[in-house]
Amino acid sequence: MSVIVDLILGIVTSIGGFVEVGSISTSAQAGSEFGFQLLWAIAAATLMLAVLIEMSGRLAGVSKQSVAAAVRERFGIHFQVIPLAGEVAIDILLLAAEIGGVATAARLLTGVGFHRWIVPVGALVWLVLWTSGFGVIEYGIGLLGLVTLSFVVAAWKLGPDVAALGAAFVPSLPRHEGVRYAFLAVSILGATVSPYLLNFYSSGTVEEKLAERDLWVNRVTAYLGTGFGGVVSMGILVTSAMVLGPRHVHVDSYEQAAQMFVPVFGRWAVALFAVSLGIGCFGAAVELTLNAGYVSAQVLGWSWGANKPRRTAARFTAAFTLTLIAALAIASIGFDPLRLTMICMALTVVVMPAIVLPFLVLMNDEKYVKRHTNSVVGNGFLAAVTVLGAILALIVVPLQVFGG
Amino acid sequence: MDLVRDLLDKAVVDRHGREMGRVDSIVLEVRPGEAPRVAALELGAAVLASRVRPIFGRWTATVERALGLGDGRPLAIQAGAILHINHHVKVDLAVGETPAAAVEQRLRQLVSLIPGSS
Repeated sequence: MSVIVDLILGIVTSIGGFVEVGSISTSAQAGSEFGFQLLWAIAAATLMLAVLIEMSGRLAGVSKQSVAAAVRERFGIHFQVIPLAGEVAIDILLLAAEIGGVATAARLLTGVGFHRWIVPVGALVWLVLWTSGFGVIEYGIGLLGLVTLSFVVAAWKLGPDVAALGAAFVPSLPRHEGVRYAFLAVSILGATVSPYLLNFYSSGTVEEKLAERDLWVNRVTAYLGTGFGGVVSMGILVTSAMVLGPRHVHVDSYEQAAQMFVPVFGRWAVALFAVSLGIGCFGAAVELTLNAGYVSAQVLGWSWGANKPRRTAARFTAAFTLTLIAALAIASIGFDPLRLTMICMALTVVVMPAIVLPFLVLMNDEKYVKRHTNSVVGNGFLAAVTVLGAILALIVVPLQVFGG
Repeated sequence: MDLVRDLLDKAVVDRHGREMGRVDSIVLEVRPGEAPRVAALELGAAVLASRVRPIFGRWTATVERALGLGDGRPLAIQAGAILHINHHVKVDLAVGETPAAAVEQRLRQLVSLIPGSS
């Protein structure tokens, strides 16, 4: 019975925890600029995330190690240091963007300036981590995040043309702005497949002591939870395409993005968008901060765990606290949260091969996953998407950033 | 045993199963006419950093000394103290009695000042 409850909770909270600052920004921009045409990118990225999440849970369930710990043990610090540094740098920037997302949501709700919310949001993130165990963090925030289903409701009520939706799942070339189209496709991949999710999910699997015989729970949760989560991202894109696209609104701010809810939710539109943005970003901020503690402690062999009293894992606590302070400092400097998010998303894809390819080696090593090694299809799909995405990102990111 | 594959970078726990760190370096003893043998395992940020670049190791050691953490670091665990090696390395020591716990104990004092830490 407990396994079934865990399964349902895992799926539901995966849906609630799927959307955050990256997926809202990239999907809203993609919809407003290219209609339904980039739905295929969300579908491909969601499939890739589901495959990676399933693998990281399988690794943790069998080896009882997180991804970061296993990479340190298998490849050594000399190999790990560069991808780790890249991942940590992007995670801190992304954390700053998520905090910016919550602050923007608070401004939309209250009218009080964006910068005044940065420190209170950071304090609230820290307080949640200080007082809560893994279950509360994962399930509590995931359940609150179900408010993001409002994007799916909005898309449904707008009544999109089903044939046009179906056609958009086949990749096609744009009629205009090819570089922008490729940049958004890369950004959608980066927004969906955040590298921190691999270690966060595997750490959670270790914390929850998933048994090898229950790997099927991990598989079902990964595919169904992530799959339905991807539907929420698609809801954002479809709503944006149907509301903002015809009005030629290019999403340059979250205020503009909030307008996508107006035809469906009327006077509640901005408030509902703000709550969805705020909760989605807050959940991601808590996970990113916690993951910074996980990675530091696991790579260096310290005591760690969200379920342990903070006193008994003092270095773990210090690591996530310092990471949060660093992100708050960046967020306080003053930046355009939407622009920072888009840059983070694209950079994520550039560093992805350095993170995913060693992970694939682990997933084929019987010392770690025993008889549960990867299939050829899983290996090939991940390697191809990762390498192609990185090559595309290396081409389009400079063109987009320096070409304006 | 392949030392790099099976020992270096493995997690180290004390006799009670508490985390001590990872095998950041291995000290080998070489005697004429004999095969090299493991003399000790080293744990510590400076030896770990020196594996990335020797200068990083020197910088880390300087910071450790400036913070008053230099004594007994890196921690050298004699090969005779190794109890077994499987998915981690278990050693016949208590982490609280070694310099490996110095940073954790200092931070623990700070963390304990905040309500709700235990």
